[in-house]
Amino acid sequence: MLDYIVRRLLIGVVTLCGVAMIVFVVMRVLPGDAAVMLSGAGAGAVSEKELAGVRAKLGLDRALPVQFFDWAGEVAQLRLGTSLRTGNEVTADVARRFPYTLQIVVMAMLIAVLVGVPVGVLSAARAGTWADQLLRALSIGGLAAPSFWVGLLLILALVWLFQWSAPLIWEPFWISPWKSLTQLFWPALAVGLRQLALIARMTRSIMLEVLGEDYIRTARAKGLSEWAVVMHHGLRNGLLPVVTLIGFEVSALFGGLIVTETVFSVPGLGQYVVSAILNRDYPAAQGIVLILAGIVVLGNLGVDLLYGWLDPRTRVQAGER
Amino acid sequence: MKHSGHDQFTGALRRRVLKAGGGGLLLASAGPALVLAQTPKRGGTLRVSSGGDPPDFDMHQTATYLSQFLCAPCYSTLMRADPKDYHRLLPDLAEKAEVSGDGKTVTFQLRDGVLFHNGMPLTAEDVVFSLERIRNPAKGLVSPRKGLLGNIEAVEARGARTVVVRLAQPQADFLFLVSNPFNVIMPKKVAEPLDAQGQGMKRQIVGTGPFRLTQSVDGQLYELTRFDKYFGPPAYLDKIQFFPIKGEIERSAALQGKRIDACYFFANEAALASVRKVPGVTALRRPTPVFVNLIPNARRKPFDDPRVREALSLALDRDSFIKTVGPLSGAFYHSFGLMPPDSPYSLGQAEIRQFGGYDTLPGLGGNLAANRQRAIALLEQAGVPKGFKIVIPTRSDIPAFRDAAINIAGQLKTVGLEVTVDIRDAGAFYTIETKGDFQMVVHSVAMGGSTPDQILGEGYTSYGGRNYGQWKDDGLDNLYRQQSREPDAKKRGELIRQFQLAFLKTYYQINLAWVGYGAAYWNTVQGWTALPDIYANMQMDRVWLDS
Repeated sequence: MLDYIVRRLLIGVVTLCGVAMIVFVVMRVLPGDAAVMLSGAGAGAVSEKELAGVRAKLGLDRALPVQFFDWAGEVAQLRLGTSLRTGNEVTADVARRFPYTLQIVVMAMLIAVLVGVPVGVLSAARAGTWADQLLRALSIGGLAAPSFWVGLLLILALVWLFQWSAPLIWEPFWISPWKSLTQLFWPALAVGLRQLALIARMTRSIMLEVLGEDYIRTARAKGLSEWAVVMHHGLRNGLLPVVTLIGFEVSALFGGLIVTETVFSVPGLGQYVVSAILNRDYPAAQGIVLILAGIVVLGNLGVDLLYGWLDPRTRVQAGER
Repeated sequence: MKHSGHDQFTGALRRRVLKAGGGGLLLASAGPALVLAQTPKRGGTLRVSSGGDPPDFDMHQTATYLSQFLCAPCYSTLMRADPKDYHRLLPDLAEKAEVSGDGKTVTFQLRDGVLFHNGMPLTAEDVVFSLERIRNPAKGLVSPRKGLLGNIEAVEARGARTVVVRLAQPQADFLFLVSNPFNVIMPKKVAEPLDAQGQGMKRQIVGTGPFRLTQSVDGQLYELTRFDKYFGPPAYLDKIQFFPIKGEIERSAALQGKRIDACYFFANEAALASVRKVPGVTALRRPTPVFVNLIPNARRKPFDDPRVREALSLALDRDSFIKTVGPLSGAFYHSFGLMPPDSPYSLGQAEIRQFGGYDTLPGLGGNLAANRQRAIALLEQAGVPKGFKIVIPTRSDIPAFRDAAINIAGQLKTVGLEVTVDIRDAGAFYTIETKGDFQMVVHSVAMGGSTPDQILGEGYTSYGGRNYGQWKDDGLDNLYRQQSREPDAKKRGELIRQFQLAFLKTYYQINLAWVGYGAAYWNTVQGWTALPDIYANMQMDRVWLDS
C-alpha cells in the first residue's frame, strides 16, 4: 500500500511539473501585458518607452526559458515568488485566503452530502411516487441554477426580508466561529445546492441499480426490514461512485469558486486567481494554479485511499499491483 | 508695477482661485475649514465601499478612482477644490501662490509645520520631487498625468518653504492642473529609494493628509485612522474603513443591510434605484468629467478618410444611446461640444447641429433617417463597400465600454457596415489599444478635472494622453496652445470655441455621452458634498457621523 501511495505521489510530482510548464506558457501566450496592467491601464498616456522600463524592472524583458527556469528554481525551494499586484509573497497571500475557500468547500460539501445522499436514497426507495417526482424536479432545478445567480438571490432575499447582510470584516473560523459561519454559510449554500442536486441524482441512479441486485432480493427474502436493506446492504455498496463524485467535486470546487466568492466578496482563492489572471500577475497566477493542481492530485489520491477503506477488493488489487 | 499682461493673466485666474485680501494674487491661508449647517460630531468609523481593491496606492502612477478614494484622505495637494464651488481652489499645502508679471513663473509659499505621517516635516524639496516625479518619472515608473504638467520648464526649491515653478508659456489653468487630486505631495526621502527599486509608492501611503493608512488587507479591508498631527482642522471621524465589494448589487445590499454607511460609486441605475427607495438613505447622481467617445483609428484605412468618420457619426442616434446605455453605465449626460455638461465653454445648439449626427443629441430633434441616408452616401463616395467588416474590441468588465460598444455596433449596422464586438478582458483590451491594433474603439475616458486644459489638452490634442486614434494635426495642437496661454478670458473663450468647432469637424473622436456617478449614503453621514467631479472632495476631513 505504501508503495502504491509513493508511486502515486511521484506521478503527482510529474503532473505538477507539466502543469507548471503549461501555466507558464499559457500566461505568456494570453493576449495582454503585465506592464500595461501595472501602468495604470486605461490612463492612456503610457509610452512604449515607459512600458519597456517597467518590463525591465520586472525582468519580463528576459528570454522566456530564462524566466521559466528562474521561476522553477524558486518553486523547487517552495517559493512561489512575489505578486506583482499585492507586493506580497504569493505563499503568504494564498495562506491568508486559503482558510476561507476551504471553509466554503467543506460547508458546501457537508450541505451537499448530508442532504443530497438521503434525498437520493429516498428518491430511489420511493421511485415513481410523487415524492420521487418532486425531488427529481428540485434536483434538476438545482443543477440548472448557476451558483452566482442563486447567490445573488440569497443576498437580495436576506436584505429584502430581514434587512440583513453578512458582516464584511472577515475572520477565520478558529478565531470567530459563529461570525465565520454566518458569513460563509450563504456562499456555501449557493455552491452546495448544485452539488446537492448532483449527489442526489447520482445517489438515486446508483441506488436504483443496486436495489435491483440479487443480494438485495436475498436480504429482503431473509426478512430484513426495508431500512436495513436500503441502508446497510444498498447504500454501502452504492456509495463508491458517489465518493468518486464527491472527490472530483471537492477538487473542482477549490478552483471553481471564482464567481461565488466575487458575488459574496469572500477574500478567498477564487477572487485571488481571477484578479491574478486579469492583471497578468504572472507569479500569482502561476503559483495559485500550481497549488490548485496540487490539491487536485492530493484529492484524487485521497479518493483512491477512501476507496480502499470502503471496498476491501480495491485494497487487495492495489496491493497486488 | 504690473504690466497689462499680468493683469489679464491674473484676472483669468482670479475668477477661479479664492483670493484673500486685496491686491496681488494670493491664496488665503485660513485652512480648508468649511462652514457647516449643523454642528459636527466627533468620532465614529465611516464604513465605505465603492468598488473592488485598489490596484495600488501610488497616486502618481494610477488613474483609477479605486486608488484615489482610498488615498485622497491620506494625501494633500498644493491646493484643493472648494466643495461649495469646485471651479475655485482653496489652499491646501500652499498657503499662498503668486504669479509673476509675465505669467511664466508661479511661486508657492508652503505652510509651516506640516508633517508627513512618518513624522518628517514637509519641505520644498518634497514638492519639487513630487512635481518632477509626475512630469518626468524615473525608469520603471509611469505617469499618466505627465502631460498635465507638460508646460513646466523647471521646478526649484528656494529655502524650506518656497517652491518656484517656471512655465514655458503662461497657462491660465496651471493652478488647477498642479492641484489635480492625483498630483499629491509625497516625501522625497521615502519615495525616492523605492522608485530606484522600481516599486514606487505602490504599497505604502505616506502623506500629509487628515488620515493615515493603518491597515491594508487585500481583498478584505483598508483602514484609515485620523492623523492627529494634520496641519488643518482635525478630521471629525476616528476611522474610515474601505471594504472591497466589486458588484454594484452586492454594494447596494451591504448598504441596505447597514454593513456600510456609504457607497461613493454606482454606475448601474438599477443598483442605485434599489437604495433610493430605502428610507433614511440619500441616493444621488452627478455628472463627472468622463466621456464616452467612438474613436476610429485614423491611421487605418478607411478611417483615415474624414468622410468615413463623418459617416460613422451620422449613423448614430445619440439620444437612443443615452437612453439605452445610460442606465447600465451611468452615461446619462450630454453636452454641446467637447467640454463637460456644466461648462461655460459649451457650444450653442446651432453650432453643434452643423456636425453630422450631432442633431440626434437629446432635445435637438434631428432626422435620424436622413442622417443615415447621408452616411450611406458618404461611405459610397469614400469607396467603402456594403458589408465592410469592422471589429470593435472592448473590455468585458465595464458597461461604459462593453455595453456602449455593443450598442454602437448595432447602430452602425444600419448603414450597411458589418460590425462585430470583440469582448476581451481589460489586460488584452489595453494591449490591443496601446499598440493601436484596432479599427475603432468605444472608450470611456476619465479626465482629471474639467478645465479646458485638462479636457482639451489631455483628450483632444495629438500629443495628449488620450489620442487612442493616433491622429496628427498641428493646426489643432497650435490652437490648443494658443487658448492655453491666452490671458484674456473673453479671447480665450473664443479660442476654445474655435478649437471645439475645428476638432468636431475632423471627427477624430465622435462624442456619444458623458458619464455620471451615483452615490448613496445613510443620512447619518454628514458633511460630504457630491461635486460634478468624482475625484474632487474625497479627503473626507469634513465628513462626520450623526449617529
